[in-house]
Amino acid sequence: MKNGERMTISRATAAHGGTIGLHGIKKRFGSFQAVDDVTLDIRSNEFFTLLGPSGCGKTTLLRMIAGFELPTEGRVLLDGADISGLLPNQRPVNTVFQNYALFPHLSVAENIGFGLKMLGRPKSEVGAVVADMLKLVHLEGRGDHPVTQLSGGQQQRVALARALAPRPKVLLLDEPLSALDLKLRKSMQIELKRLQAETGITFVFVTHDQEEALTMSDRIAVMSEGQVRQVGTAREIYDRPADRFVADFIGETNFLTGTVERTEGRRATLRLATGATITAGLPDTATPSGAVTLVIRPEHADLVTAGAGTMDGTLGDIVYFGTDTHYHVHLDDGTDFIVRRQNSRAGSEGDAPETGHRIGVRFSDNAAQILKD
Amino acid sequence: MAIDARQIGEERQRKEIRDRWLLSAPALFLIVAASVGPLAIVVLYSFLAPGNYGDVKWAFSTEGWFNVFLSRDIFDGTVSLADAHFSIIWRSVKLAFITTLLCLIFGFPTAYFIATRTPHTRSLWLFLVTIPFWTNMLIRAFAIQEAIRSEGIVNTVLMTLGLISTPIQMLFTDFAVLLGMTYVFLPLMVLPLYASLEKLDFRLVEAGYDLYASRFGVLTRIVVPMVRPGIVAGSILVFVPALSSYVIPRVLGGGKALMIGNLIELQFGQGRNWPLGAALSVALVVVVLFVLLFYVRNTGKSGGGAHG
Amino acid sequence: MARPFSIKRQPGFATIAMLCFFLLYLPIATLVVYAFNAGVSIAVWEGFSFRWFESAWNNAQVIEASWRSLKIAASAAVIATTCATLAALATTRTAPYRGLTFKYSIINMPLLVPEIVTAVALLILFSRIKVWTGYSGLGYLILAHSAFCVPFAYLPIRARLESMDLSLERAAADLYASPFQTFRHVTLPLLWPGILAGLMLAFVISLDDVVITEFVKSGGQDTLPTYMLGQLRRVVTPEMNAISTVFLVLSLAIVTLFFFLSRNPQKQKT
Repeated sequence: MKNGERMTISRATAAHGGTIGLHGIKKRFGSFQAVDDVTLDIRSNEFFTLLGPSGCGKTTLLRMIAGFELPTEGRVLLDGADISGLLPNQRPVNTVFQNYALFPHLSVAENIGFGLKMLGRPKSEVGAVVADMLKLVHLEGRGDHPVTQLSGGQQQRVALARALAPRPKVLLLDEPLSALDLKLRKSMQIELKRLQAETGITFVFVTHDQEEALTMSDRIAVMSEGQVRQVGTAREIYDRPADRFVADFIGETNFLTGTVERTEGRRATLRLATGATITAGLPDTATPSGAVTLVIRPEHADLVTAGAGTMDGTLGDIVYFGTDTHYHVHLDDGTDFIVRRQNSRAGSEGDAPETGHRIGVRFSDNAAQILKD
Repeated sequence: MAIDARQIGEERQRKEIRDRWLLSAPALFLIVAASVGPLAIVVLYSFLAPGNYGDVKWAFSTEGWFNVFLSRDIFDGTVSLADAHFSIIWRSVKLAFITTLLCLIFGFPTAYFIATRTPHTRSLWLFLVTIPFWTNMLIRAFAIQEAIRSEGIVNTVLMTLGLISTPIQMLFTDFAVLLGMTYVFLPLMVLPLYASLEKLDFRLVEAGYDLYASRFGVLTRIVVPMVRPGIVAGSILVFVPALSSYVIPRVLGGGKALMIGNLIELQFGQGRNWPLGAALSVALVVVVLFVLLFYVRNTGKSGGGAHG
Repeated sequence: MARPFSIKRQPGFATIAMLCFFLLYLPIATLVVYAFNAGVSIAVWEGFSFRWFESAWNNAQVIEASWRSLKIAASAAVIATTCATLAALATTRTAPYRGLTFKYSIINMPLLVPEIVTAVALLILFSRIKVWTGYSGLGYLILAHSAFCVPFAYLPIRARLESMDLSLERAAADLYASPFQTFRHVTLPLLWPGILAGLMLAFVISLDDVVITEFVKSGGQDTLPTYMLGQLRRVVTPEMNAISTVFLVLSLAIVTLFFFLSRNPQKQKT
């Protein structure tokens, strides 16, 4: 039975385009510039995430794709056609709302069938699609239940099914997991990935949770203060952050300063403030010279005996996190540096570093990445 | 062809505001036509001369306003203060004020009692306060009339207890009007007081006791100041309708304890002096608006917000 | 259960509260009891009887006035609630716009102006119109009642609307519902309890009105309250108690319904 349902859905996706083009989008609320000149291309059949802190404009951007807000400037394209001025009910795009916005006076099935009913589809078709959808989100037999009596996770599934039922070209998800507890959130992340793969619909997902973005997305746009700071795959964004904001916002990072001595392809040799000479990756869009900032992820560095690594310092706090341990090192030039080590039972207790002792920090040439600002 | 979303957005906004005006038009028209608008006619009439058999003559005259405060002797034309009017206006203000005070004295403990019940029973007690509020005022006035007449339950009980030997004449006195108004308007005091008290943070009361306040000290220095907006709201809600009361003095005051409302009615009935009635009406509205203005400014200062 | 020091207790407050509740209901209770008196007195009990209810039922004036009251209240409630619903839709869930405060003040104005003054104003206006048009039917009373019922109907509808999440209407629009479909399938069903509450409130307010009716009515247009007001000047028999009792029961039924409607706004079954 699982196969049958998968077939129905994927047959429908054959005709799907579902590319979104955002061209020079600006949105002002009074004197507040919510979105400041965003240009983005979202591909067909992609799990695309808008990631950023609250107030960065990601939800406003989503609402402009849905049609709840109109851009002050710029154009929204769906499969090449300008939809900037269309009303929400005229756009083949559906939304999963942050608070689900389920209709409390309708049953589960009536909620899911709402869109098709509004489109004037015959009752038999609505019934069939609703049944498909109930299966897809594992709510078989719950069609007659009032939505107000469902748990948070079940309401989430109804909201998903409701938005998917009319087979939109693009599904917009506005922080849909933020109201769920951690465990449920994890399982819904997997569920969402599965639904995206099975339906082949373009998902545009808004979140402020970087971990959620990294685990689920094909591509991520990191936003801040109404602008897109970097677009790329999870790995690109994590390993090669374009600027200080992205590096700081995604994961934990050590910032070091240095001076570029020479560049060679996309790599540069530079002298650190601590005196050591290393090579590091250059950002994709710029070739900075002179004084630069570079980042090294804590897990890409390791502790060694003093003098044996790239830099030396004094070991400060040691913070135990269960799966790993953070070592805070005060480098000799005065900057703080964090090294993350995975914990293991077999770990040799003998060479465990101790607070206050001199210690060295080592990292490979690939670990360092130069920022464009 | 480029789509100008900004222009579409502005157009949509204009349309929305236009729709909102269209939607509110019937209600606004109804109220302006049959409630608020006619007040302008009253103002106009207060400056016209009285007709011989009611209504007015279409001639400008300040006689109506003149008569509010002064009276001219029919025989020799001498002018003196209109004692009859003054005594009625004074009685209205006095009775409305005492009614407000009585409602506060009885209403505050009642509201406090309800607010300190468990949330579940609270709504039941509240419901008990609301029922009389929604029953016909005339019937409630009638009920009071029955209770205090010579052979009514109050006199009967007092005589049975041997406290009095002959029935007390209570009906058609100021006392009867006062009793009736307090009875009828009490819920109007209890409801806003309750709304304030319900929001009262009792941890503050706890803090008061912790800092050695007595029960009375906690009441006067913590509870009362915190619910002041409710006290002001309740007082206004009682004072305004009490001042312009018409049914209660008519039923319980008979012809003896008139209030402004009855005085106005007289000018349109037996008195046949419409301009005077109109002038009295305008004066009453002005007083009421002043009281409401005082209320708005008062709650504005204290932050307000603690009443429903 | 032992009750230690209760921070909420104030000495004497419970007693005063109980006294208040007792006094609130005592006159009404007495009034109802004497409606069943067999004798002609409204103060001396002479045994139980339904005679005054029968007498009221056979009193053509009472029946006529009651019908008129119900007709006016029903018409005014429907008109006022329709206007109030539209007005509530126009004045809630929006960023402030020019004219919004104006609308609020106009809608609430009938609550602020003393009833006796509105009554006088309408007397003057309608007496002119009656002369000009020659029409002196119930229309004037219905119009006047509709107007002062609007703010009462508006209150629960507005409260209900403001508690309604605008995201539901957005969701409907997102799911291809046109503005009218959104109203028909989402806004209206969710607003319905508020509209019903407004309707009942307006009905009771109209039914209870004495002052405005007394001034606006033409000859022979007594409603039940104005009929009763006229009767109170004479010697009163328990027939008045009987009429009042029926009236009370009707109001009580409506208010109880209103209470439950406005108390559990979210808990409705599909």
